[in-house]
Amino acid sequence: MEDMIKGNHVFAEAALRAGARFYAGYPITPSTEIMEYLSTRMDEVGGVYIQAESEQASMNILTGASASGVRCFTASSSVGMTLKQEAISHMADSDLPFLAINVVRYGNGLGNLQTGQSDYYRDTRGGGSGDYRNFVLSPYSLQESVELIAHAFDLGDKYGMGAILHTEASLGQMMEPCSFPEMKTVERRPGAIDGTHSQERISPLFRDRFAEALEMKERYKRAIENEQMWKDEYLEDADYVLVAYGLAGRSVMGAVEKLRAEGHKVGFIRPITLWPFPEKAFAKVNPAVKGYISMEENAAGQMVDDIALTLKKTEQRDKPVYCFTYASSIPTLKRIKSDFIKVTNGEVKEVY
Amino acid sequence: MKVKVRQERCKECGICVANCPKKAISFSEEISVTGYRPVVVNDELCIGCGICYTMCPDWVFEILGDRG
Repeated sequence: MEDMIKGNHVFAEAALRAGARFYAGYPITPSTEIMEYLSTRMDEVGGVYIQAESEQASMNILTGASASGVRCFTASSSVGMTLKQEAISHMADSDLPFLAINVVRYGNGLGNLQTGQSDYYRDTRGGGSGDYRNFVLSPYSLQESVELIAHAFDLGDKYGMGAILHTEASLGQMMEPCSFPEMKTVERRPGAIDGTHSQERISPLFRDRFAEALEMKERYKRAIENEQMWKDEYLEDADYVLVAYGLAGRSVMGAVEKLRAEGHKVGFIRPITLWPFPEKAFAKVNPAVKGYISMEENAAGQMVDDIALTLKKTEQRDKPVYCFTYASSIPTLKRIKSDFIKVTNGEVKEVY
Repeated sequence: MKVKVRQERCKECGICVANCPKKAISFSEEISVTGYRPVVVNDELCIGCGICYTMCPDWVFEILGDRG
């Protein structure tokens, strides 16, 4: 039997079920309930919970935890994630895995407290100095978040990379039925603080950074080739393909069903991994498709660029790509339908 | 020997000296190749606890344990 449970509590419990035993963070709306929940729950499973003095400190603490080989995670929201970027870049330099749950709140700077997807670029491009990447996964439901959190930890361990659960205020704050897997026990990775300098990537000594860069490039290539995740439907005969992730993706999936029922040949791609971007999904699309429509919870349009770049690699490089942005709100089915009709009527201009 | 010291990496900051619980670390009278008075460990006082290894910002120490 599934219980009704709040999103932020789901994220926290899912991480514990996946074997995470270390959390450090600093509270920020709309992600605070994650650490509030863990403040008592972590002790019950024998893990370590630290409320740090700042976001920056919490991520530096996580660096030490990961270097000690424990499955570790943090959580924050947009502007709080910004403060973690320096340590995230350092962790990438040392191949240290972690999970950061970003319950996105919309806006620049402090932004507002409402939902949004305005951190797409920051999270998918690395965020700090350097040219590293993190896995970025975005759930459309709480049940999917349980699966993705476990998967994110496994990906991090497999590739020696960080992972970000890029979700939204609305998913963190809403309740829906959700079930959890049994508690998993994870072996600790070999720790680096062993009295010697056994793990070269964790000390600045004896490093060949050029060789490391080439190795990193190959590793990212492997991740792009093997780890793309998405959900799609009705692509083979689609005149138009709607692309959206997270809760916007959930709305789009519903809207596509409605539009299909009304006779519109429309399909959807819902990216689940935002990095690596699910390029392979686009290979399934009807060669005679008339255009792609990105629907995003931001103002400027961000993922639309990745769609255009993906098409550039295919025979569909000249197809128009449209973009609708809904700032800090989840698009309704009605709104998606009316915006789609604007495209078919030629009322909006493509971005690419 | 319980702790190996890479004297050429030492910049004489004294963090290890301040944190050693057995006061086993002091500055050498000799000048190192980099021009500092690098740290030396008194093996009779040292218990091999690893605090100097943890604190040192310049990877000077290695705890030898059974390998000493």
